[in-house]
Amino acid sequence: MNSLFTLAQTDYPEAMGALTLAHYLFLSAAMFALGIVGFMTRRNLIIMFLCTELMFQASGIALIAFSRFHLNHTGQTFVIFVLTVAAAEAAMGLALVVLLFRKRESLSTEEWAEMSG
Amino acid sequence: MDALINPLALYIACALGAVGVGLALPTRGVSWRVPGGILAAGAGGLVVLLLSLKAYDNDQLPNVYFYVFAALALGSALRMITHPRPVYSALYFILTIIASSGVYVLLAAEFMAFALIIIYAGAILITYLFVIMLATQAPVEGDEELQADYDAQAHEPMIAAGVGFVLLAVLTTMIFNGLGSLSPKSDPVAQEQVVLESLPIKVDRILDEAGLLQEHERVGRLGGEGVSKAAINIERRTIVIENTQTNTTRSLSPEQWPKDLSATNTEMVGSSLLVDHPGAIEIAGVILLMAMLGATVLSRRQVEIDEDAKAHEARRLHSAEASS
Amino acid sequence: METMLTSLIDIPSLLTLASAVPASVSEPAHGAAVGAAQVPQPWVALIPMLPIFGVIIAGVCAIFDVRTKLPAFLTVGCLAGSFLLTLAVFLRYDSFNHGDPFVVHLFDWINLSWGDPSHPTSFAANFSFYIDKLTVLWMLFVTGLAALIALYASEYMSHDVGRAYCRFFVGFNLFVFSMACLVMGDNLVLLYLGWEGVGLCSYLLIGYFYKKPAAVAAAKKAFIVNRIGDLGLALGIYLTFVHFGTVQYSELFASDQLQGYLTAAGEHRWSDIPMTAQGIALLLLVGAIGKSAQFPLYVWLPDAMEGPTPVSALIHAATMVTAGVFLIARAYPLFLISEFALPTVAWVGTITALLAATIGMAQFDIKRIMAYSTVSQLGYMFAGLGVLTTTGAAFHVLTHAFFKALLFLCCGAVMHGFAGQLDLRKLSGVAWMKGWGIVAIGMLVGCLNLSGFAFTAGFFSKDMILAEAFVTPGYSILGWILIGTAGLTAYYTFRVFFRVFLGPQHAEPGDEHHDDHAEQDHTDETDDHHTAAHGHAAEHGGRFHPHPPGWAINTVLVILAIGSILAAGLYFIEKDSHGWVGAMINDSSASYHSPYADHADVAHAEEGAHTGLLFGQDPHQIMYYVSGVVGLIGILLAAILHGPRGWQGLFLGGRTEAGKCRMDSVAKLFGPIPRWAEDKWYVDELYIAIFQTPLRVFAHLFHLFDKFVIDAIVDGVAKLPGALASALRPSQSGQLQGYAAGMAGGMVVLLIIVLVVIGGAS
Repeated sequence: MNSLFTLAQTDYPEAMGALTLAHYLFLSAAMFALGIVGFMTRRNLIIMFLCTELMFQASGIALIAFSRFHLNHTGQTFVIFVLTVAAAEAAMGLALVVLLFRKRESLSTEEWAEMSG
Repeated sequence: MDALINPLALYIACALGAVGVGLALPTRGVSWRVPGGILAAGAGGLVVLLLSLKAYDNDQLPNVYFYVFAALALGSALRMITHPRPVYSALYFILTIIASSGVYVLLAAEFMAFALIIIYAGAILITYLFVIMLATQAPVEGDEELQADYDAQAHEPMIAAGVGFVLLAVLTTMIFNGLGSLSPKSDPVAQEQVVLESLPIKVDRILDEAGLLQEHERVGRLGGEGVSKAAINIERRTIVIENTQTNTTRSLSPEQWPKDLSATNTEMVGSSLLVDHPGAIEIAGVILLMAMLGATVLSRRQVEIDEDAKAHEARRLHSAEASS
Repeated sequence: METMLTSLIDIPSLLTLASAVPASVSEPAHGAAVGAAQVPQPWVALIPMLPIFGVIIAGVCAIFDVRTKLPAFLTVGCLAGSFLLTLAVFLRYDSFNHGDPFVVHLFDWINLSWGDPSHPTSFAANFSFYIDKLTVLWMLFVTGLAALIALYASEYMSHDVGRAYCRFFVGFNLFVFSMACLVMGDNLVLLYLGWEGVGLCSYLLIGYFYKKPAAVAAAKKAFIVNRIGDLGLALGIYLTFVHFGTVQYSELFASDQLQGYLTAAGEHRWSDIPMTAQGIALLLLVGAIGKSAQFPLYVWLPDAMEGPTPVSALIHAATMVTAGVFLIARAYPLFLISEFALPTVAWVGTITALLAATIGMAQFDIKRIMAYSTVSQLGYMFAGLGVLTTTGAAFHVLTHAFFKALLFLCCGAVMHGFAGQLDLRKLSGVAWMKGWGIVAIGMLVGCLNLSGFAFTAGFFSKDMILAEAFVTPGYSILGWILIGTAGLTAYYTFRVFFRVFLGPQHAEPGDEHHDDHAEQDHTDETDDHHTAAHGHAAEHGGRFHPHPPGWAINTVLVILAIGSILAAGLYFIEKDSHGWVGAMINDSSASYHSPYADHADVAHAEEGAHTGLLFGQDPHQIMYYVSGVVGLIGILLAAILHGPRGWQGLFLGGRTEAGKCRMDSVAKLFGPIPRWAEDKWYVDELYIAIFQTPLRVFAHLFHLFDKFVIDAIVDGVAKLPGALASALRPSQSGQLQGYAAGMAGGMVVLLIIVLVVIGGAS
């Protein structure tokens, strides 16, 4: 209980309980759900990209939580790769957004509905 | 173990959350943002409360800062997806990142926490802000009529929220049902042993700081020439110290084990990254390189050339080739 | 190839008939006959090969667009060469194989064996020629008439000079080749090849004016009706092979099996002969009925007159239609062993003769009258075969070939001269027009022959059949019918003669100008050239001038007329065996006197040993008078009803203008019957009602089935993906959010599935 109000993990490397893990996983899932809701509802290309970043973030929390639960650092390592992909995605996505914005002077996704069946 | 919390309560909470988020999403006209946000927060709080009650019974409550950071992260995430102004969204996202990094710290991932702040909040989000400011005119404060329509009005908010929260319900059901079968399998001591063995100079320094080393003494080296490993045993808490002058060795008793002789999180992550996943890091490097090239190519000004001009250009190039 | 080369080298000596047996020796035929010896006479193969050569050079002429009569004269040369070669075979026949039939092997065509290697079943149908006197007889008149008619056609077809002219002669030569294969083939399969070949050429030549719908329809009708007969023939050939294990005549006729059956047939032990063996003849008969235009498959022949007249004369009067008679004569032993085949042949022939004669009486188109007359005369030949006088049948074939070709060519000359006019009501007194004398005389000779006027060739050949009908027990009723038909024949024959050639001069031109024909095939030929080359310039002046036939037509008519007259003389040569033809026939498979049918001969000779009597006399003697009188009655009747006033109508007739005669009033006495006869007793309509209409109804039903069931299924299958796509299309809105929602929803569904599966498992 002394760890309750301490930020640092003094009890490390003691294993974390499954119920504690459940809290973090719920946080991750809720964040992911918010990200996907945002992706589906927002019509601004940039905000949609931000929402994907939010989903990346949620997955990162899940990875770190499992890393802690298993006392294994591979989870943390993979957050690095998630960050890498997020950075690459942001670079490419924003470049595309800039390109599209130049063509239509708008960030609306409705401007780009040419794939309609 | 059965479900952690009553599934009915979970689904109700998800439904309430969906309604709340749906209401909170930006719409023109009457805004239900505040009641929606409260509803969503209440739904999330309900689930966390139920979870925590269960965890309390099993003495597995998380650190109290978890609640702070979780509330901060989810609240700012909700605000991020519901705010009609892109710049504010980006700023709320930074808040989410910071809250997340707090959660990382709670989970003993200090390196990743700070890396997250540096990379996300420091680099990626700033890029986003640049682009947002480039592509969006700053509206006069409070004048929502001037807001771009695609920002002011969400696309089918209730349906999307429904789908998203069904997904959440399914995910949480899976998580809560499956947790019982989880059990930690890794041996953290063995991992730390490997990492500390490979850091003899760090061990030397810590021992020296603790005053455990005499002159010409250092921690014993294992392995052949060029493969220097520290001769320590974390499990038995023994350290072998050798004298380079006299070539004699002595052992330290477990009681003499220095308090701060342990591998840091950064060292563990670095070891995992470079020792266990060298291929993955190469690939990550290639991905970043391609992203850089792609962004460079894409952001160049595109010159529109019609078919005739293309054909003309091709002929010109061809004739130039032929003449040379 | 070697044999061919030596044959070519051998031609000069051969034409002088100085050469004996050529030096080269042909390869022995596989599975060759025991009964017919192998005599190396490879040059015999030239008889069919010369027409093939004619096909090639006429084709080459077509390629080089020759605009002269060259292909015609080359054809005449080739066919005359064939005729001379046949003549050489005939003259030297006794020296080849001691007067016995022999086989000339050209090359292996079909030579198979299978089954147990020690006793293999084998099937051999080689390109070999079976030469006996029946073959020689047939080839003589086929090649001879073909050469003459080709000469006639050189002038008749001259308005088509150019590519179509070449096309005509390609078909003509191909026909002679096919006919040679049919007649000379040493096995039934080669006969079948020739049989189909002549059918094809008949189709091609009937449809020569392929832009004329009637000609195309007639060609199709001929081809399709012949299919029915050919199916029977093919089945007969299969059955022959299945039953006797061979299709080669020499092996077939010499087989112990057949000899055994002939013995059994001779002793009336019909039950000893298996039904399959008896069925062969009936199936072959179906083929013969189709090809020889017998009832009920005769309907194609009158329509076939849409073809050019030389084709009608050669193919549809003289040669091809006698293929059925030839088939029966060739396979006569097979018919002798069948209890019902020969009676069927006799009855079919008799019914056909009567029916066609009645129709012929009422027709006004002179070519059609001749066509029905041909059908009728073919009926006589069948009846002759049926009453066991192959000699009579073959003699009638020969004489008929001459005089019917003559009649057709005369009609053709009239048609040619009067711009396609064939209606006897619109022509009169042609004999008195300038330049038409030879045609009129030729027509008279032909008509006398056909009528069976005393001491003409037709008289003798018909008598032989009629007498034999009374001699053979049980067939005298046929004899009476055939005598009556002979009277009808004389009547309708002279009806044409009196109407068209005698009386006041009158002619209306037909609507069918030669230009029409020319334009059909020669868009490249200018009108100027055309009219200048041909004598129709007067037509352009508005008044019609018939142009009399030229030298080629006249020459051919003269030769044929003389031939028709002299053919009577054949009856008096070798009187012991019923004339020259009898002598020829007796040495072949067609005769029941032949060695192949010895036993049957005995039986039939006993049962029919001239027991029949007519007016208490031997029919062979009395028939001369009876049929002569009947013929005369027919002629006089024609003179009364159709003859012109004065001596031309033998002072009996009363016709003073072209279109009106006493018959018009007489016909009224019979009520609607002449009308029915003119409409051919509605046989065509009956066939349409019985076969064509139900088939058409079925076709429509199946079409509907196809359209609404099969097509609906196929189209439905094809439309299903389209419908699915239309249903799914809105999902592809192009809106990014839509795709995102789809992705998220899909993920949800997948996760739910996983959840349910795992939940169920745990």
